[in-house]
Amino acid sequence: MEQIGFGIISACLLGAALGVVTGKNLVHSVLWLAVTLVTTAALYVFLNATFLAGIQVILYTGGVITLMLFGVMLTRRDERVMVENEQNGRRLWIAALAALGLFALLAAATFKTPGLPRTQAEPTTTDAIGRAFLTEHLLAFEVLSLLLLAAMVGAIVLARRHDAGADARGGL
Amino acid sequence: MPLTSVLLLSMALFCIGVFGVLSRRNAIGILLGVELMANAVNINLVAFSRFQGGVVGQVFAVFAIALTVAEVVVGLALVILLYRSRKDVRVDEANALSG
Amino acid sequence: MDAWLSNPFVHGLVYGVVVVTALMTVTAWSIWFERKFAGRMQSRTGPTLVGPYGLLQPLADALKLLQKEDIVPKDADRVLFNVAPPLTVLFALGAAAVVPWGPEQIAADLDVGVLFILAMGGMVVFPVWIAGWASNNKYALLGGMRSVAQGISYEIPLVMAALVPVVLCGSMSVSDIVRFQLEHGWLIYSAPVVGFLAFLLFFLASLAEANRIPFDIPEAESELVAGVTTEYTGMKFGLFYLAEYLHTLVISAVASALFLGGWGGIGGLAPGLHWMVLKTLLLFGAIFWIRWTLLRFRADQLMTLCWKYLVPGGLALVMAAAAWVHWGAFAGTTATPAPAPAEQGAR
Repeated sequence: MEQIGFGIISACLLGAALGVVTGKNLVHSVLWLAVTLVTTAALYVFLNATFLAGIQVILYTGGVITLMLFGVMLTRRDERVMVENEQNGRRLWIAALAALGLFALLAAATFKTPGLPRTQAEPTTTDAIGRAFLTEHLLAFEVLSLLLLAAMVGAIVLARRHDAGADARGGL
Repeated sequence: MPLTSVLLLSMALFCIGVFGVLSRRNAIGILLGVELMANAVNINLVAFSRFQGGVVGQVFAVFAIALTVAEVVVGLALVILLYRSRKDVRVDEANALSG
Repeated sequence: MDAWLSNPFVHGLVYGVVVVTALMTVTAWSIWFERKFAGRMQSRTGPTLVGPYGLLQPLADALKLLQKEDIVPKDADRVLFNVAPPLTVLFALGAAAVVPWGPEQIAADLDVGVLFILAMGGMVVFPVWIAGWASNNKYALLGGMRSVAQGISYEIPLVMAALVPVVLCGSMSVSDIVRFQLEHGWLIYSAPVVGFLAFLLFFLASLAEANRIPFDIPEAESELVAGVTTEYTGMKFGLFYLAEYLHTLVISAVASALFLGGWGGIGGLAPGLHWMVLKTLLLFGAIFWIRWTLLRFRADQLMTLCWKYLVPGGLALVMAAAAWVHWGAFAGTTATPAPAPAEQGAR
């Protein structure tokens, strides 16, 4: 049962990821990424990390994918449903070779590593994660909030239009 | 399922991401590849936390997810800036500084 | 037989089928109810011709939609155009999986149920955007973009409002939150100001996420023809229509479980499924009442309301709830409660 579930999730995950990198339409690529991220959340449920699965769906699909879609709409060259996402023909084979080589290297390294844990440990609880955030990892947690603030301010400064009338015309 | 199969899956995802980053011309297409790679790393963190026990793996994964969101925000702002100055987001066209 | 039914997959499947059928039926006749209700509010009679009191009107509507020609615009993105309507229904229904209808009537009692509800709420905007994009129509695209902007903005006050019961009850499982309310009283009055304001905030933000009046700018017919549904015909249009009502029904159920004591009766009277259904239907009716009373916001007013008032208000509410728990305002609860039983892994 577990093997079948993992097999199905893996197949969906890899298929969706291939959709991201091979799609001809940029919008389709972004939506394939959404499928990949949601399937990853399913994998997290499978690995008994339900809290993380929820966070993954809310932050990634709710945040990242929406941003990407807006990015696509703001940077397209003509008003069509098809947004070009072409591949660099000359570098295609080099890229494929590099990816395969990296995979071979990583796989070899994994199989050679001694002492990988073989059995599953006790599942962690959401309660324990929350406590770890506000005790052991409090400093990292606070620094992260600062980083998010910095990213937000940075993005607004970078993407802002510099003509004065833009604010008055703003809105959707 | 053993840890090795989860690791192999995340490795494959990471390499697909690498392929995307190397082969795409559109800046947003490249960002999508980076997202795939970050996602693969998170899977590794969660898998090790499942098999090794302890809460640190998942805490770290939450940090990683938040960092990725911040990275995407800034990355997209840069892409929009690129589009505004050149009306094009193909990264190999943005070579004004190359000799 | 019992062992067979307690298998989580079989259990989920059986309850899922029952809940989905019930929700669909209620939704179909809620359209009749809304038309009657709106008619009475405007001194009309509403539907009268099909069946007694027009009761068979939903069937007639469905038959009419089924007979319409199915048109896909020539320059549309065919695949996405066809995939969007069923996805809308799926995500609108999603949150119903973790809503406890009674002490035993839960399709999937997740230990992170509240998070699941919020995640489903966040996903709802995607099919709407996909529909707007794939139609290749400027009104549809504008509607889709408005929907996404509105969805991600109102997601933030929604998360904060939903965090208030989580903080007060110390659990993310919806059924635990209801059990806490059975013991300490409904959150709407047992944590006086905080609970009531959080309920209002949750209700408002949910309405915005379901694109209901006064927040229905994605399909504002006076500005955008029909918004994202402009290019859709026949049953595909019907699915969007169905999804909107389903989503409204599901958020009524979620709000009743999180704030109105779920299956608990008034004054502890005969708790059970009937109370949950009654509360859900009352909230659902209230949404119709709002719809036929209020006007539509303008897009910029909508954003102003969210970012300048609801988000700071939500932050203040979460802090107030934390302070409430810290000073032990619920009898028998202390500042650092022991880990709740439901948080020890999914059942």
